Amino acid sequence: MYPKWLWPVFAVPGVVWLILLFLVPFYAVIGVAFGGVDPIFLNPVPTWNPFNWDYEVLGKTLVGFLPGNQYWGIFLRTVVYVALALTGSLLLGYPVAYYISRHAKRTKMLLIALIVLPFWVSYMMRMLAWVNLFSPNGFVNKFLLWTQLVQTPPDWLGGNHASVVLGLIYGYIPYLILPLLAALDRIDRSVLEAARDLGASPASAFFHVTLPLSKPGILGASVIIALPMFGDYYTPTIVSGSPRTTMLGNQIDIFFHGGPQPSVGASLTMILSAFLAVLMAYYMITIAKAQKEVAA
Amino acid sequence: MKDRDSKIQTIMTGYRRGFLSRREALRALGAVGLAVGAAPLLDFAALADEAGKQAGPGGIPLSRPDKPVTLPLHMDPIKSGLEPEKGPFHIFNYQDYIDQVSVIDTFSKKYGVEVVLTTFDSMDQAITRLASGTVEVDSTNITPDRLGQGVAGKLLQPLNHSYIPNLEKNIFTSLQNPFYDQGSQYSVPYNLYSTGIGWRTDKVKVDIGALENPWSIFWDEKSKDYTGYTGILDDARESLGMALQYRGQTDMNTEDAAQLDKALEDLKATIPISNPKINITEYQTLADGSSWIHQSWSGDMLGAIISYWPEGQDKSILKYWWPGKGKGTTQNDCWSILAKSKNPVLAHLWLNHICDAEVAYNNTTTYTGYQPAQKSFSADALIKAGILPEQLKNIILTEEDVGAGSLQYCALTPNGQKMWQDAYAKFNSGS
Repeated sequence: MYPKWLWPVFAVPGVVWLILLFLVPFYAVIGVAFGGVDPIFLNPVPTWNPFNWDYEVLGKTLVGFLPGNQYWGIFLRTVVYVALALTGSLLLGYPVAYYISRHAKRTKMLLIALIVLPFWVSYMMRMLAWVNLFSPNGFVNKFLLWTQLVQTPPDWLGGNHASVVLGLIYGYIPYLILPLLAALDRIDRSVLEAARDLGASPASAFFHVTLPLSKPGILGASVIIALPMFGDYYTPTIVSGSPRTTMLGNQIDIFFHGGPQPSVGASLTMILSAFLAVLMAYYMITIAKAQKEVAA
Repeated sequence: MKDRDSKIQTIMTGYRRGFLSRREALRALGAVGLAVGAAPLLDFAALADEAGKQAGPGGIPLSRPDKPVTLPLHMDPIKSGLEPEKGPFHIFNYQDYIDQVSVIDTFSKKYGVEVVLTTFDSMDQAITRLASGTVEVDSTNITPDRLGQGVAGKLLQPLNHSYIPNLEKNIFTSLQNPFYDQGSQYSVPYNLYSTGIGWRTDKVKVDIGALENPWSIFWDEKSKDYTGYTGILDDARESLGMALQYRGQTDMNTEDAAQLDKALEDLKATIPISNPKINITEYQTLADGSSWIHQSWSGDMLGAIISYWPEGQDKSILKYWWPGKGKGTTQNDCWSILAKSKNPVLAHLWLNHICDAEVAYNNTTTYTGYQPAQKSFSADALIKAGILPEQLKNIILTEEDVGAGSLQYCALTPNGQKMWQDAYAKFNSGS
């Protein structure tokens, strides 16, 4: 009835979009990593031809990730921050998504609207609001002093690891709840009813049915927030500013922002991307397995 | 053989100009058939990164206060007596670093042209955008260490001083013929500043300026009382330079690996002691109390008072110290005209406008806080006018402070830049 080429045509705009806005820029990053700099302005000069690539900078940068070397500590810190922020986001976000999906009735749309509300304000602005709340003279400290819960105002933004992790959770949690909500909404309720009919308690039904069935949603939502968290550099800058809370993104920023070593910044980007590709691959394999199980 | 000699010559030139590291040069020499073992015969040691001997971009020597440089002319300046163009006139400057009302609008009104301001975040970004042609402007703010790049890359055009009488009339004599641009062929000075320590006396009981070595406040175990409330400038040169000064070093342009390693080690030592925040917002944080001790640019002290000081807060609690001429750094920035300017006459008049005493005074006192290089600008007058608190008198530099014998962060060789950047990245990683 329809010509064979019709449906693939629908994918063309997306593919073109990906090529123009992801693949080409990413190839430029690779070109910079394996390229040189302009001798006068020290601007990056990408090497487009793979046969002319110089692998020395990438090699040296990779060595820097070995334990005890230059990037080892900051890489480890980044992984720990993201892992904690991800765990915190799931612990906070999953119950919210679960409640909205299962129990919110007339208030469901209102709650979804409230979750979407932060998207109306830019990430940067939300982080700056956080600074106003938690600065030494901020509202939180004023409240704590007023209630006499503390005698001296805590320095929330003075280079605390917890502040950065909480900042990441605060910034990214809306991006986790929405896909999680969609995944929970897709779970067939008759499966839950069957579990209850067969004698499962509510808790047992949750742990043996809902949670396993929402695993693809959890993974998908986790990937959505973990990827940008790994490259984040403005959250630690705004909510801490201390060298002891910087993340790998801050190092990329230093080398890309100026100076004669953009190839180091590009190499760091490539290494981080490769690391994230491994996580992404795990996600895709898990999803594929889950789909096979459903089909079976 | 002649071809090989030519290649060796090219490699050595690349090494001397800093485009190749010693290792890269040795490897390249090996590639053209010169045994690596013979390389020491070429006396690399004699090619050490000495200012005045080491060339910068395009072979232009690196300038130092005691080694002035005359920038080469790659085109003729515009002729005298030309009528100004009709605009629109485009200027390129740091964000929040020029007053719209007292500077831009007055120029616009005087010459009947629209003035379009485009901003940049850093000098690196400015040079990148100018070099790539992603911005087309008539005049740009530029720092002295970038003038060599601007001239070598033919981005800038030489000036015709007949359009800029205010340069000779108003500007510090030493900066009419600065070491980085002898004869002011490409630039006029804009603002001046020193680098020191700003602190709040309501929070810090130590008189930092009276300490034997005031920089030691960042390393003193007693500074743990101020943990989380100290700050260091988010700038590779300034932060490492502070650590060098802490140890009494005065070569702020060193490319000596041992000195930089020591500076890095010292800088890292501040983290467990005073846990400094790394930023360049001390004009705001000192004013609002989120920092108590901060490595500071002098102009930001007045900026804090003018624009960020909370209503009713005592202005006498903000103090500033800098080591003084020959021990601490002073800097200035400049304005230049782009070689491809479509409004070169207007651009010259803009430079003259910038050098106007009243315009410069208003720009400083109503907006930037950074002092202009004006002969008539004095701390006493600012104090009398109620603009500058008495205790901040030392933020205003005199002509003597910026002349020969001053310490300045100047352009480095590419290899030197790598060394400073690597050290700063290691400090910033906090590990």
